[in-house]
Amino acid sequence: MSWSLARKVSAALIAILVCTMMVTALFGFFKFQDVMSELVRSRYSFVAFTIKQKVEDSLNLGFALRQLRQVQETIELEKARDEQVQGIEIFDAKGEILFNSDRGRIGASVPENWLLPLSAASLQPFAVLDEDSNVVGLPLVNNLGKVEGAVVLLYPTGYVERELGPMLWRLAGEIAGLVGVFSLLTVMVASVALGAVRQRLHVMEHALLLASGGEAPLADTAAVDEFDGHFGEFVAKTREAVEHIKASTDEVERLDRLA
Amino acid sequence: MKSNALTGLREGAMRLDSSRSLLIRLLMLAVLVLVPPMVIGSYRALDNFKRGLGPEMDLKAAAIARDLVAQLERAVGFGIPVDKLVGVDEFFAQVLSANPEIRYLGITDAKGDILFLRGALSEQLNDAYRGRSGRALDDSGLKANIADFVDLALPVHVRDVPVAQVHVGFDQDYVAAQLFGIFYDIAVVLVVSLIIAFEVLLFVVVFNVSGPMKLVAEVVAHARRGDFTRVPGITSADEVGHFVRIFNSAMRQVDGAYRGLMAYIDEVRSGHFDREVAGQVSEIADRVRFLFRFHPSGAPLVLREKLSSDVRLPLFLFIFAEELSRAFMPLYAQALPSPAGWLLTPELLIALPIAVFMAGIAVGSLWAGAVTERLGSRKVFQFGLAPAVLGCVMSGLAHGVIELSLWRGIAGLGYALVTVACQSYISKTTVDSNRATGLGSYVGAVLTAAICGTVAGGVLAERIGFGPTFFVSTALILVSGWLLSHLLAVVDHGAPVAAPVPSGRPLLRIFANWRFTVLVLFAAIPAKMALTGYFFFLVPLTLWNSDHSLAELARIMVLYPLVMLAVSSQSTRLADQMGWRIGQVALGGLIGGAGILSMLAFDGTLPLVIGIVCLGVSHGMSASPQLAAIPDICWIECNRHGRTQVLALLRTLERVGSVIGPLLAAAFLLHWGVKGAVIGLGAVVLAMAAIFAMVAGAYGSGPHLETEEDVP
Amino acid sequence: MIMRRLLLGAVLSAVLVPAALVPAPAWAESPARSPAKPYRIYMALWRGWEDAAQGFKDYFTNQNIPVELIIRDAGQDRAKLPEFVAEAKQLGVDLVFTWGTTVTVDMLGTYDKVDPAKHITDIPAVFAIVSQPVGAKVVPDLASSGRNIAGTSYLVPMDTQVNLLQSYRPVRKLGMVYNPLEKNSLVAADELRELGRKNGYELAVAPVDVVDGKPVVESIARKVRDLKQDGVDFLYIPPDTFLNVNRDVLTGAALAEKMPSFAAAENPVLSSKAMFGGVYRYYTVGQLTAYKAEQILVHKKAPADLPIDPPRRLSIIINMPVVRALEFYPPMGLLSLAEVVDNGAEVRQ
Repeated sequence: MSWSLARKVSAALIAILVCTMMVTALFGFFKFQDVMSELVRSRYSFVAFTIKQKVEDSLNLGFALRQLRQVQETIELEKARDEQVQGIEIFDAKGEILFNSDRGRIGASVPENWLLPLSAASLQPFAVLDEDSNVVGLPLVNNLGKVEGAVVLLYPTGYVERELGPMLWRLAGEIAGLVGVFSLLTVMVASVALGAVRQRLHVMEHALLLASGGEAPLADTAAVDEFDGHFGEFVAKTREAVEHIKASTDEVERLDRLA
Repeated sequence: MKSNALTGLREGAMRLDSSRSLLIRLLMLAVLVLVPPMVIGSYRALDNFKRGLGPEMDLKAAAIARDLVAQLERAVGFGIPVDKLVGVDEFFAQVLSANPEIRYLGITDAKGDILFLRGALSEQLNDAYRGRSGRALDDSGLKANIADFVDLALPVHVRDVPVAQVHVGFDQDYVAAQLFGIFYDIAVVLVVSLIIAFEVLLFVVVFNVSGPMKLVAEVVAHARRGDFTRVPGITSADEVGHFVRIFNSAMRQVDGAYRGLMAYIDEVRSGHFDREVAGQVSEIADRVRFLFRFHPSGAPLVLREKLSSDVRLPLFLFIFAEELSRAFMPLYAQALPSPAGWLLTPELLIALPIAVFMAGIAVGSLWAGAVTERLGSRKVFQFGLAPAVLGCVMSGLAHGVIELSLWRGIAGLGYALVTVACQSYISKTTVDSNRATGLGSYVGAVLTAAICGTVAGGVLAERIGFGPTFFVSTALILVSGWLLSHLLAVVDHGAPVAAPVPSGRPLLRIFANWRFTVLVLFAAIPAKMALTGYFFFLVPLTLWNSDHSLAELARIMVLYPLVMLAVSSQSTRLADQMGWRIGQVALGGLIGGAGILSMLAFDGTLPLVIGIVCLGVSHGMSASPQLAAIPDICWIECNRHGRTQVLALLRTLERVGSVIGPLLAAAFLLHWGVKGAVIGLGAVVLAMAAIFAMVAGAYGSGPHLETEEDVP
Repeated sequence: MIMRRLLLGAVLSAVLVPAALVPAPAWAESPARSPAKPYRIYMALWRGWEDAAQGFKDYFTNQNIPVELIIRDAGQDRAKLPEFVAEAKQLGVDLVFTWGTTVTVDMLGTYDKVDPAKHITDIPAVFAIVSQPVGAKVVPDLASSGRNIAGTSYLVPMDTQVNLLQSYRPVRKLGMVYNPLEKNSLVAADELRELGRKNGYELAVAPVDVVDGKPVVESIARKVRDLKQDGVDFLYIPPDTFLNVNRDVLTGAALAEKMPSFAAAENPVLSSKAMFGGVYRYYTVGQLTAYKAEQILVHKKAPADLPIDPPRRLSIIINMPVVRALEFYPPMGLLSLAEVVDNGAEVRQ
């Protein structure tokens, strides 16, 4: 395949188009994911917050965290309400799980890094990333101001992708189609836009071929006014040179033969 | 299409050896193929995203509604009648402020009459609620579209008797509006793409069409006068290549005929016994030689001229890569761990990478000038690429500020070598008549790259982080390097131009020329101090502290190259017409200093925007007149040492300002805080500009040497 | 001679029989990771086992901290306190807990007058239910005791009380019935009047009648009526011993006059007809005191480094039957924070 001008221009433009669309699509996707996961996170934080309030109300009555048996029911109810929730856990300040929507996990320990937010002075909500779960958590504080533990809610990472995967793929397909259509358009329009160049080069080539062939009348070729009209002069001069040299050769030949 | 081409032919609207008309066509094509897919794609994406968010919004609303219902059921369960609830408004206000996507919250009684409502007007909802009165809701509630809202209603029960309904209204457009935040990013990407498309197309056109055709034109210009000594040496597979082959075959046909004739004549002359014939034949040879000229070596000389604009795209990419980190360099330094010690205060450490980068450039360009003379642009360029790539990739991997500064210094060295190599390439490939165009192309590439790099860097860093942005830079530098090493092929670097090794001492006597000294001290140096201390260092820090995102920050900072680009083209013309160069330099300095000091008058982002615009105006106004004034005020020195040497000295000296700028700003920052540092630096710049303005009046008086020499 | 008996983990009656010194089985379930010897704490009480002591004890149980409590009750008899000091020293306990101002001052001394012979100095101590730790010279400053003791405060600051009251409903005229013979109530009246100037309410006071140096119970209802006629819209019930004893009379009168009432102590709300109140519960204060003890015993903090502070969260108690009778409903925000007393019954007016 030869690289015609139109192809070169199209290739450059299509490369830029593809890059641009890819960058835009990625930015758009990231932004969407940001907004979406923020929304998901805020919802689960809210759920965790309602549990935190219930637990802290009980703590204020002087109950110990591990005594709050009714909390187990609360978290099982919340878990049952949303199938996306992987689990809700309440663990004490040492990391021992006291309540868990999955009863089998009660008594186990949470990963070390879940305890770090609890030691911080601020009692802010925290979010950590587990292997395949997002974790939103809130510290549980008793009325002495002491962190008794935390409630955490786990939901799958890739939640956005899983929920909206088909939609995103469809969208990606649409955009790819768009790129395809416009690539074709680029090829066509580039060939049109460069047609003039091709045309003129062709006219000049034609003039040159005629000139060197020496058959055409000069008037035709002189009309090509490329390069400030110099091309015509050039063609004429070339023809003149060819003819002159030919004449000279003939003359030399004649002289040579004279001998 | 044919008619189109013919019109072109007739009117001469398009010239193949000039890139302009063809480029305009292709740019229109670029806009046509880039803008619509972006617009359509963004629109489709937004639409899809909006619908994708819907179910999640429902869930959020349901979670909130359930909690409200629980609290209401508790209150009502205590025997508080629903219509007698107290403090509902404040209670709702708290929930609304914590969940901005929720537009309103309300309670209706069993009949559907609104008892409490916050966030919407009851007229908007009354009819819809009344219309469905009497309908019992199950626990999953009822979702309905009311006007612009989506309304979720859940029942409140007391002892299994429904007594009220809680309404949570949300606004799907709220979250969609958040998605619109991406709009600016997309606009930036589009603009940058268009500029890159322009640069690439310019390159394609120049490299494939107008460049070769210029060469053909040169050959044609000679050949039409009968001079067939050279042919264009172009080998490409496209239409131009095809044309050139035919063109060359025509040329070679002539040449071949000539060679054949000459050989024949020689044969006749040497082999013929008849003297007279030999004489006649010689006459014929002389006549042909008189009428036409052919190359004496036996074949036409193959022309392979390189064009100064070849270097534009790689240069653009290189500067683009370097400018990516512009908007966030101090923030990156701030984010890295710093071993603050006795002398190295945290403020100073943030300024250090910029200062060291500038120092690297200063050292690099001092040295690069001399090296380029000896080795040629290509070698220097390749030589400079190594530190540029190394500095860039390691900046992205740096673990501390000191380390980062080190790598920035090395990157600065590379930057200097590469840019000097490009500049010298341009002056080598141009002759005096078109050197101005060549340098204009250089400045154009640098400024457009600065525009693109600054905004793209901000957007990119916000999405992928500081470190990875440096890797993108590195990739771009490598692409630019690959292009350049292909293009900067053999350039004849003729005899070293009088080997002007900066013969230090005599040149230093230039400081005796007070006009030069004053120009350096009070115009050139403060201009650079403002650029590096204020624009590169304090502006990003201040904007960042006032909670602007990186992308916003970059969009504000891009004003500088934009304004500068706009102003400089006008001011050069103005300077040439009015010959008011020193005045322009003085005025520019004052505008810049005053702009920075607008911090005194305003709060927030506005003074920074004013400062950046003023700085753009200031530098756009004074940069080229400052250089152009040199031959006027240093006529003797220019004659003695060469203008290039004097200009190089000025460049080197002003870089002292580049290094001082961020360090001075950091010192101010330590003592007076961010605002104080801006004001302090502005005051210094304004004071120096004021001194220059006062002295500038004296430039015209006293022994003054006018020259007719003009600087391109 | 002090008798000793086994201390059971179960909640003890308020009246305490001096106990035998045997390790309690309550922490037998404590995990194997702390096989260490239990910490020995000497608890000196003033009027028997009540909520603060229970909270103190429960805290250790809940936190799985093994302790051995040596419980002594002075039975409001000051003369017993020197014996306690001597016993604590002789037993060489790890920590001493003192209940109330009298026990604390007598056993620990005031900061300007400490006698190592008469007071406990070498053993760290925590105190609870001391109404004026600074005023009683137990500590020079609430930020630090400056000596080997730590403690908690339990009175809700007056401005907190006023804010809470105002958050129920803004009040224009606040009424207060009090016993003029109790100094605490006089101080409270002054503070309320002062805060009223800032918070935009007026204070109307009605001291109960005093006959033969004794407050007259029968005058209470009349005083409440007077206040009502004076235009008072909210009644403040001070932490007054006389009124505490006669709380049913006072709160009943307020209810009869349809006047909402706020109590600074928990009893009028929990076991009478005051409408709501904001208090630090003794139980919570006891837990907080145990938390301080934990800091000293387990985390080896110097007592002087621990501030003397009240619990973080106020207990807001709302008496729902009274609210319903008055039809004076609490705001939703307050309700969601409050503990509600509601036996489901309606109260008689």
